[in-house]
Amino acid sequence: MTRINVLAPLDGLVVELESVPDEVFAQKMAGDGVAINPTGHIAIAPIAGDLVKLFPGGHAFGIATQDGIELIVHIGLDTVELKGEGFENIATEGQKVQVGTPIVRFDRAAIERLGKEIVSPIVSSGEGTVVWRATGTVRAGQDVLFILEI
Amino acid sequence: MIERTVTIGSKSGLHARPAAIFVKSAKGFQSQITLSKNDKTVNGKSLLSLLTLGAGQGDPVVLKADGDDAESAISRLASLLEEDLG
Repeated sequence: MTRINVLAPLDGLVVELESVPDEVFAQKMAGDGVAINPTGHIAIAPIAGDLVKLFPGGHAFGIATQDGIELIVHIGLDTVELKGEGFENIATEGQKVQVGTPIVRFDRAAIERLGKEIVSPIVSSGEGTVVWRATGTVRAGQDVLFILEI
Repeated sequence: MIERTVTIGSKSGLHARPAAIFVKSAKGFQSQITLSKNDKTVNGKSLLSLLTLGAGQGDPVVLKADGDDAESAISRLASLLEEDLG
């Protein structure tokens, strides 16, 4: 068994996934993890790997590792409908990332003004089981958000 | 092995929500499930892999199922892809 730290991709307050007002995330259909109510403006890579998916509209991205770990960071809910408004991609789909590589810049106020909930799920959709998760405030790239055991 | 070409019905394409609903259903079948768009083929039981297809509304995709329950898998999963799952 190996334990792998997944760092916070966003500054903010950790929220239980079950309390996210979107049943797909709340029921863990997309995977186990937590959500963050973000206070910052930049989402970074929470783990080193390949940025296999970065939506053109910037609302979500996914990183895969050689161990079969898959992490999805979804900034806000139903934000796919904003078609990029409030988001600006910094990274490029397909590139290699390190922990802390900036991926997307986002404007919380603009996203909320457009009527979207900002709470942002971070889920593990590949290998590994979540064995520990943070509570309270986390800092992007500095604090462990959850630990996966594979 | 059974395959069927279907058209993506969700208005924002195969993004996180419809893909997660698809994967949850796909995992309930024993068959191996794949989805292809153009010349790219991915595992239908992997959410992140499905997202990498970048399938938009109206895009044709090829759904394949291989296994004892392939027939019921194709019929269930094809209808999920064609629905607007939001």
